[in-house]
Amino acid sequence: MLGKTAVEKNVSTQKIEKPKPELLPHESKLKTRNNIVKSIIYILLVLMAIICFIPFLMMLVNATRSNEAILSGFTLIPGSSLVENYTNMMEYVNIWSGFKNSLIISVLTTVLSGYFSALTAYGFAFYTFRGKNFLFVFMLVMMMVPGQLGLIGFYELSKNLGILDSFIPLIVPAIASPFVVFFLRQYIKTTLHPSLIEAARIDGASEFKIFHTVAIPIMMPAVATMSIFTFIGSWNNYIMPLVILFSPEKYTLPVLMGFLKGSQVAQNLGSMYLGIAISVVPIMIAFLFLSKYIVNSISAGSIKE
Amino acid sequence: MTLVLVAGVLSACSGDSKSSGSSKDKDVDLKVWSFTDELKKPITKFEEKNGVKVELTIVPIADYPTKLKPVLESGVGAPDVFTGEIAFLKQWVDAGYWENLSEDPYNVDEIKDKYVPYVFDLGKDKEGNVRALSWQTTPGGIFYRRSIAKEVLGTDDPTEVGNMMNSMDNVFKVAEKMKEKGYSMFPDEGAIRWFSQGNNPQPWVNDKNELQLTDEKIEYMESAKKLRENNYTALAAEWSPSWFEAMDKPIKMKENGKEKETQVFSYVLPTWGLHSVLKTNVKETAGDWAVTNGPSPYFWGGTWLGVYEKSENKELAYDFVKMMTQEDEFLTDWAKETGDVLSYLPVTNEIKGDFSDEFLGGQNNYQFFLEQAKEIEPGIVTKYDQQLDTFYGNAVQQYVDGKKSKEEAIKEFYKKAQNAYPDIKVPKN
Amino acid sequence: MKKLDRYGYVFIAPFWIIFLIFSIYPVALTFYYSFTNYSGSGTAEVVGLANYARLISDSYFVEAFFNTWKIWGINFALQIGLALVLALIFSDMRMKLKGLAFFRSIFYLPNLITISSVALLFGILLDWQHGSLNMILLNIGLISEPINWLNKPTTAQLSVSLILTWMWFGHSFIVVMAGVSGISKDYYEAALIDGANRWQTFTKITIPLLKPILLYIMITSLIGGLQLFDLPMLLTDGIGSPDGSLNTMVLYLYNQAFKFNNYGYASAVAYGLFVITLIFSAIVFKGMYGNERKQARKV
Repeated sequence: MLGKTAVEKNVSTQKIEKPKPELLPHESKLKTRNNIVKSIIYILLVLMAIICFIPFLMMLVNATRSNEAILSGFTLIPGSSLVENYTNMMEYVNIWSGFKNSLIISVLTTVLSGYFSALTAYGFAFYTFRGKNFLFVFMLVMMMVPGQLGLIGFYELSKNLGILDSFIPLIVPAIASPFVVFFLRQYIKTTLHPSLIEAARIDGASEFKIFHTVAIPIMMPAVATMSIFTFIGSWNNYIMPLVILFSPEKYTLPVLMGFLKGSQVAQNLGSMYLGIAISVVPIMIAFLFLSKYIVNSISAGSIKE
Repeated sequence: MTLVLVAGVLSACSGDSKSSGSSKDKDVDLKVWSFTDELKKPITKFEEKNGVKVELTIVPIADYPTKLKPVLESGVGAPDVFTGEIAFLKQWVDAGYWENLSEDPYNVDEIKDKYVPYVFDLGKDKEGNVRALSWQTTPGGIFYRRSIAKEVLGTDDPTEVGNMMNSMDNVFKVAEKMKEKGYSMFPDEGAIRWFSQGNNPQPWVNDKNELQLTDEKIEYMESAKKLRENNYTALAAEWSPSWFEAMDKPIKMKENGKEKETQVFSYVLPTWGLHSVLKTNVKETAGDWAVTNGPSPYFWGGTWLGVYEKSENKELAYDFVKMMTQEDEFLTDWAKETGDVLSYLPVTNEIKGDFSDEFLGGQNNYQFFLEQAKEIEPGIVTKYDQQLDTFYGNAVQQYVDGKKSKEEAIKEFYKKAQNAYPDIKVPKN
Repeated sequence: MKKLDRYGYVFIAPFWIIFLIFSIYPVALTFYYSFTNYSGSGTAEVVGLANYARLISDSYFVEAFFNTWKIWGINFALQIGLALVLALIFSDMRMKLKGLAFFRSIFYLPNLITISSVALLFGILLDWQHGSLNMILLNIGLISEPINWLNKPTTAQLSVSLILTWMWFGHSFIVVMAGVSGISKDYYEAALIDGANRWQTFTKITIPLLKPILLYIMITSLIGGLQLFDLPMLLTDGIGSPDGSLNTMVLYLYNQAFKFNNYGYASAVAYGLFVITLIFSAIVFKGMYGNERKQARKV
């Protein structure tokens, strides 16, 4: 029978509890305190969630208001200028072409980054070869150079390779993603035990087969996590596409949004917010999709010592 | 197999972008880049007239120099025609990005008398060759509220009010009168920065590469401080929501700890201030405005247009520039449609009498601005202006806010200037 | 070296080829420019170590250094503290808190918005006369008059720190949880049986096993923090107002390069920053691993 302890607050546990023996008095006090603490925690969490969500809401609401309304004040009540903002926005930019371009670039970037970073991290983690540590540290060290100035060098390079105004400079470099490699290697150290690899080798599998059948599944949560960040980083990237691309039909979403600024003084705030809202939706979807692959509780772990 | 898939998609994409890019290129005859959408309508007209296809790319002003510079240097994907703003105009005309229009076949020097002097002059490079032209002039004045003027000064006539504000001292007299009746003369202290050159306009950096801080500019610091100490302003910083709001209705502000309501008497704005700022933000007070002069003439902003030096379509490019800056018919229509104050005198002489703006109670602002434009001295703009103005503005603000003494603020100004431009000679006091 | 170890080279090859081409070339070019007086266009004259000499005595750079640390320090402490606390309570076996996926998603939302939109949004929110933040604070009586957040140095820096925390704590939370998910449940069950309390479980099991991930967070946060740039630039006037309090090192070098056209000097600043980052990363590394370093190398 279910242990019923006197608890007025809370107890919104959805799980059906297995039958528990009657609790002793001091244990029931503990449970009450536990539940009170839980409620407080939930309240705080909800508060934090609201703080995180409100600016989003404001953006969405502003997408429906007119420029003057936005300048005059802030409110959470939606306006009626959605269609107006949309038509205005379409006059300036073809947002759907930007959408398509951003999608292509971001998806490819994420896939390449995820796959090759896993490959590289695995290489660093499981093989001992000369210069391994040096290379790893060198990679880390390169991460420390501020990127803003590299822009001009990157441009020169792309020009010399003849790949300006194409998606190549925006996608291919993702094969080398030091941050992701760094994270994956750290993750592998925690989760993947060499014995598993040895076992597979004894079974006669080739190195690549081992990588694809053993390592990748175990690394999936970490790869999924990093993929979210990669996708978002690529989606929101503004400066690179701005400088590398020239043909309007290739422009990505953030670049097109910049065009919505119109003239310097008279602005199209409503359309801008609408553009922002449109660009946020896919990354929310990508996030929800990828987060399924992230194991979220401590029930992972495949090693039984 | 993932690899194969990925490789396949990649090649498809790059193939796609290359082919679609080149096919589009054949359709477009002319590429124009700018930082606003101002050229949209003229481009449509140009397309119709000449049966060509023009592509306009707008890059927001904040990123405009960053994006254009590498492109103009390398020539890859560059536009045929592009605009430049006063902020970086001087740098660009000297960098050689624009075609030399003083040479054959353009020979624009022959038509220099058709333009407002300072506008034509600013488009010249170090050697005096014209690199960029402008169709507009952007002088400024003081826009004021007629009803308040009547109440406090007894008149709302632009000439009379202008006479009352023809020197900084007189401006302060008016400010005092405004305060007595509970009005704020200006929205903020920065409003008077345009008059800081006073009667001795000098460039920030002279021929010997020396930084010049004129006495007039230092006096301006004191004037700004005076505005603050005597509570002549509404403490509504330029471009802030309050600044916009005060154009249309009374706003609340804190004075000496007490809250009070006030109305702003005047705004120091240029030509485009009327259309892009006042008109778009005002409902109630429309028709209650007029514009007159301040202690000295000034100009604010401005857009210049030129042909890319490495363009492959120079002829067509110049045709567009020509239409935009020299074609009587187009410019007449343009001025009438948009109210843009042109710098092209043949047209302005014809039409200047025809303007009267309801917003300004029927005043002919066109004529007013043209007269102001003629007085403006060209030779004082340098490529350092944008930053030095900002640094000096900061220094003034610090002094006005009481955070630094005058000497300290100026010293800080010198330090910043030297830090940004190691080449110029900064006084070491 | 065992025969199989050669595969190591194969695995890391694609990365390094691309890395060499696309990352190392720009970095090397910047290094070259730091010895010249390149102005972003035209020709570059080599000036030797002049830029570096200037850097050492540059009071603005020193100011930027301290600003960057101040702003980042607060942000980092809050962000990581929050992430760890959240990870702690969500992974607590006894509490069995629900809604992890939901909260994790919501907390991550702030990271999805582009930085320019964030700056736009908060610029409006923090406006001292019309901003919603002041209105809310006034209404609930926390303050008696509106605070001009972006006008005073301390509040401006605090604002940036808090905005950064808001943007990144969800991200850190996800990373920490990913790390936690890799820890075998067996350890926790064993601890439960042994009668360990929450704090002991956390400090003796979770934290040590999270060390690799924590190292990642610390180093990347350090690198990211020292390179703080977008928000200070977009929130106020782009050159560090008020009073240069928002002038961070990267903002400083950006302005030198793109506003003042002192590209050569900016490159030197970039490398100065690089050296600083290197030193502090080494400190973090040593701190985290100390004498374990020798063992870590073997893995």
